[in-house]
Parts: sequence; C-alpha cells; structure tokens
Amino acid sequence: MSIPFTMLKLDPGHAFGVNGRMQRDTGNEAKIIDQYDFPQVNLDEVDVLFIPNFVDQEWLYLQRKKIAAFLANKKIVVYCGHLFREWLPGCSPFLPQHIRNFKDYEVFPTEQSVIFEGVLTEDMTFKKGVAGFFARGYHHAPANAEILLTFADGKPITYIDRCSTNGTILVHAGRELLGYTGENKSTDRIRPQFLAWLDSEVQALKEDNHQ
Amino acid sequence: MRKIGVIYSGHESHYRTFHEPKFNQFITKLIYHPDFLETDLNDLDVLIVPSQLNYKLLLASVEKIYAFAENGGIIVAFGPQPWNWMPAQHWEERPTNFWWWLDKDASSGLVLQNPAHPLFNGYLSLVDCTWHQHGVFWPPAHADILISTEDGGAVLYIDAHSTTGKWIITTLDPDFHFGSYFMPATERFFEGFFPYLAYGAI
Repeated sequence: MSIPFTMLKLDPGHAFGVNGRMQRDTGNEAKIIDQYDFPQVNLDEVDVLFIPNFVDQEWLYLQRKKIAAFLANKKIVVYCGHLFREWLPGCSPFLPQHIRNFKDYEVFPTEQSVIFEGVLTEDMTFKKGVAGFFARGYHHAPANAEILLTFADGKPITYIDRCSTNGTILVHAGRELLGYTGENKSTDRIRPQFLAWLDSEVQALKEDNHQ
Repeated sequence: MRKIGVIYSGHESHYRTFHEPKFNQFITKLIYHPDFLETDLNDLDVLIVPSQLNYKLLLASVEKIYAFAENGGIIVAFGPQPWNWMPAQHWEERPTNFWWWLDKDASSGLVLQNPAHPLFNGYLSLVDCTWHQHGVFWPPAHADILISTEDGGAVLYIDAHSTTGKWIITTLDPDFHFGSYFMPATERFFEGFFPYLAYGAI
C-alpha cells in the first residue's frame, strides 16, 4: 500500500523483529532506521514518526528535544508501548491494569474511534482463546485527549493528544498498530483504518499550517 | 553471594524486570547496553545476557562476553537467539504454542532431563519454567541438558566445556514476559533463578 505521506519508523533491532514474530508489520509504508541512528536523521520531510515497543527509552529520553521539536513543527508521533521515561510530551508513565479475571483484559472502542471502528471487543481481547495479548495497562491521558479505546473501567489504552504540542501524539499501550493484519477477523481493520487516520491527520496539520 | 551483572537494553520489559526490587537486590551492576564496552566486568561473577537485545550492539559485545567467560565467568543467555554468537550455537526456531493449556490433554511438552541438578532442588520446579517456548537449541554433546522438549531439543542447558567459564543457556524468555506483564510463571522463575545464580551450585 502506498501512502501519500512520509513515515519514519525506529527499529529496536530485537530478536522478535527479525521475522515479525509477535506482531508483523507486513507493509513497506514506513522508512525504517535503526533506533541508534535517530540523532543523524533529518526530519524535515518526515510527517509521522512511528515508535514501537522494544524501543530503547533511555535513548529516546536523550533524544527528547528532537522529538519535541518535531512535534512543535506540527508533525505526528505515534507511540505503541509502555512508557517509563518522560520523552513524549504529555504522556504519563505506564501503569498495569489490575487483572482479577480474563474479563479485565477486555478492550472497548469509544464512539469517536475511527481507527477501531467495527473492530470487535472479542477479536481484540482473545487470540487462540488466550486473553491479554492486546493490552495489559494504560497511560493516564492528558486533559482534552481524545480517547479511542478503553478497558471496561474506562482506563485509556489508546488516545490522541492534540493539545500538549502543536502536533499530534497518538499513544497506544500495546503492540504496534501496523501489525494488525491478516488474521481473518475484525482486528484486520485496524491497520488500514490507522493508515487512513494518519493520512487525514497529516493533511489536517498541513492545512492548519497554511492558515 | 555471587556478583551478578545484567545487560540492560533500555526497553520497557527489561526496565520492569530488572528494576523490580525483589530481583534488583540480586543485581550488582545493571549495564546499559550502549555503555557495555566501556564497563568494567572484573568485579562480576555472572553476566546475564537477556533476550531481545539490539542485534548490532549484541554482536559488538560478543568478544567482551567471551573474554568474561574465558576469565571463568558464568554467562546466562535468555530467549530466542536468531544471531549466532554463543559457543557451538544451533538454534531452531519453532512456532510458539501459547495456548497449549487450552488444548485437550494439555501438555506443555517440557521434560525435566536432570531432576537431581541443584537448580531443581530448592530453587525451581518444572512448573516454574513452563509458559511457552519460541524454539529449541541443539547443543554440543558435552552440554548438560536440564530441560528439553519431548523430542530432545534443549530448552535449558549448561555448557561447562566450550570456555573456561560456564554458559547457562535457555530458550525461555522470562525477562521479556515478566517485564511486559504477561505470563505469571515467569515471576516464579526469577524468584527461584536469581537465588540460584547468587548461591546455588553451578
């Protein structure tokens, strides 16, 4: 799938990334660089910075000014993972969900969620009958964030923050959203709907830039 | 108590696993991977090389890891190893059955090959080592296989002959699973494994 915007993805270079085990990003939309090459990369032509779990967050903390400057320039940062260092504006540290039984792993799209529209709770919550793959915790969302996905108790798994910076931040406390594809269930909608959302968000930020 | 060092990747699962106080109290030195080549290992008895490290940094670290082993150190390696860097490494990737316990006649497929080994006397049981595996090793003939699959693939083995020091090598990746809040058995694994590394007969 070709996309009308430029996305840069940081590669943690870990073993699960070799063959896409756990979560396979089958696409070639993103330009991929080793995470440790990030300081050298020019972000002028990049619209979206995609940061997966397994990224070295001690390293990202050292790069936080570059990330903040990118967002100040009306760009998009997508982070999928459990944050523990303050490298992403507005994002609080990850907290694990209290799990008393498997129902506590259930995830629910909100009404305003275009990325998870039509994606069934059961398909997200279970994989081969096992619950917990999709999400096991949350980040407290900043004020005015748009919540896309929650646990039953309302804790936010996925949110969009357009207020903490000039740009847009999407935080998803789980595996990388580009990997939801080819499983023959409603979670297959996530990847194309996520890419479509990125496209519209990039355009909106660019139009906003010209006003 | 043996002095234990751990290579720390800076990713979310290693952050949680190795900062958890009950495990961290066994760790003398948490070595941020980008700083590994500049770090003095002379005060350590054990070096843990976790799973899911950045492969460029890992491969650049191999010479120093071997030097530590040749100096009599104990190396512990966790998890799938798609890059060849350990002594006589023969890794076989296998599909992961993470739902085996839901199958009829459920069996994890793990076999305790050496129940008399000190690791299984007061430290770990097979249940503590049971969640799933991402593959097996086919170790050299001189290795002591402690846990295998039913077809004899090694899930945990000790190689005391390839270098002066010893290598404890396992396909299990509790460092990833505990740190990502997934698979509760991994917590029990570390509750037994860290005391074994600190005090057990290796």
